[in-house]
Amino acid sequence: MAQTPLPVDNQMSTAQQVARKRMPWARALDENRFFPTLLLVPILIFFIVWNVVPLLWLLGVSFYRYKLTAARPPSYVGFENFIDIWKSTEVWGLLGRTLSFMVLTVGGATLLGMALGFLFWGSGRLPGRRLALTLLFTPMVLPPVAVGTFFRLIYDPIFGIANFFTLKLFGQRYDFLGNKDLAFGATIAVDVWMWTPFMILMTLAALGSVPKAELEAAEIDQIPWLKRIWYIILPNGKFILMLGILLRTIDAFKTTDLPYLMTNGGPGNTTEFVGLSLYRTGFEAFQMGDASALAIITLLIAIAFASIYLYVLSYRETRAQLK
Amino acid sequence: MTQTTWRQRLYHILLWLVALAFFSPVLWIFLSAFKTAGEIVSPQPVFIFRPSMENIVRVVTGPNFLEYLKMSFVLSIGSVLIALVVSFLAAYSFSRYRPTGTNFIMFLLLSTRMVPASAVVIPIFLLYNVLGWSKTVHGMILFYAMFSIPFSLWILKGFLDGVSMRYDETALINGGSRLHTIFRVVLPQVKPGLVAAFIFNILFVWNEFLFNYILGGQGSTMMPVLLATGVKQGGMTDWSFIAATSLIYMLPPIVAIFFFQKYLLVGMTFGTVRGEV
Repeated sequence: MAQTPLPVDNQMSTAQQVARKRMPWARALDENRFFPTLLLVPILIFFIVWNVVPLLWLLGVSFYRYKLTAARPPSYVGFENFIDIWKSTEVWGLLGRTLSFMVLTVGGATLLGMALGFLFWGSGRLPGRRLALTLLFTPMVLPPVAVGTFFRLIYDPIFGIANFFTLKLFGQRYDFLGNKDLAFGATIAVDVWMWTPFMILMTLAALGSVPKAELEAAEIDQIPWLKRIWYIILPNGKFILMLGILLRTIDAFKTTDLPYLMTNGGPGNTTEFVGLSLYRTGFEAFQMGDASALAIITLLIAIAFASIYLYVLSYRETRAQLK
Repeated sequence: MTQTTWRQRLYHILLWLVALAFFSPVLWIFLSAFKTAGEIVSPQPVFIFRPSMENIVRVVTGPNFLEYLKMSFVLSIGSVLIALVVSFLAAYSFSRYRPTGTNFIMFLLLSTRMVPASAVVIPIFLLYNVLGWSKTVHGMILFYAMFSIPFSLWILKGFLDGVSMRYDETALINGGSRLHTIFRVVLPQVKPGLVAAFIFNILFVWNEFLFNYILGGQGSTMMPVLLATGVKQGGMTDWSFIAATSLIYMLPPIVAIFFFQKYLLVGMTFGTVRGEV
């Protein structure tokens, strides 16, 4: 609700009332020129205790050989953990696997999401629209733990519903999560299912940001749809779409819970991505030194993603101001 | 009202079918929760069955269930409330006074949310072991508060930037104290931002698993751990337990996006994209 300025004759009395009620500490606060900094104290405490200190700690531990369960104290090894990672074919394989997972899942969700987003563009007068959109958007707000768990039931080789359909269509049962050729694809399928709704949402937002006047003009001029998409919709909507794709990429890079619950990284390590590998190194093998070094590397990758995201965001804002 | 043509009707049916297709795996689990154990593991899927509440009752009265459910609510609501207060004050300062380093701190905070959870948890685990905070409720709440701060800060700053400085100026000139200005004049203007931040942060904490699994302990464990450990223990998987637990655990997020649908876009994009669908 908008607070309008009070009429002039009331102003003095209000001011006096407020002034009379004001406590000494409140007055001290009003006169304090460090007030802006004071407001930042709580967040800075949180920032230092939960971000700065842990980050320095992580950096420190990454230079040590530090096994939690070993009796001997951690020993300083310099850059050895990082050199091990650099030389390790396993870590490069892990990063490559994570990258291909990211590309496939983000690509799949984006293409499907854009197509369905266009389909839902005219859904304004859909009966029961709110419920329909709730059902449509449900996968992206589900806990990955629950999704990973119940998809094991759906994918089960004997009584899973997925196999009921493959049996009907191809006359064959598949062990989706146990077969090392299928598990990767099956994981991607679940991730695409979870995140296509997000890309639908972003496509709808992007379409909503296209000026109506331009679309109406195109409608009157009978411009073909491909041209409308290319010359009107894409130039206006591409920023929001870009933000959506970037957010998805960042999230795909973080994926940990889903494969942990669904396949536990297996069979072999076909569905083990960076997040899960970190967890296993740190909390199953208790190799804190190795895990920290890998964590520093993922941190740098994540910061790179965040910078790209903010760059696109600020670019959009600058453009918006210029208009 | 315009006449609905058959084409439009067909289009609407198509949209509903797409929506239902996306919901169908969830629906399958919801149905499974009301089946008997034999019906769930039947190789021939059972579509028509006599619903029974047996699984739900067994899960709810089972060990730890109510305690974990309560913890899920306590941890998510408690931590998000703390995060909202902290980040509202900071967002106000960043938005109104723009101290040097504003953009840098905002960037750093956002990037902490873009790191895989398992990388973040390693140093926190070591830190908590030293401080003796692991397995405690306050340790979990404060951690999740930190987890919720970046997003709340971003969303609230976005909304505060949209509130004209005139409000502050008017309030201060009329003799309002600074606190009065912040909480009674500016705060009501950003209510939608507060609601969006509140709902979606609760959702993120509610869905979070790894931190709680590693840092939590007796008395500070939430629902997902029940689900995850329930799956992993023992040789046989107890599917009716999983189906019934998933049902209860997944319902709140679904209900939340039904009632708060207009905040969905803001909520899923860290407040960087505003608007409604």
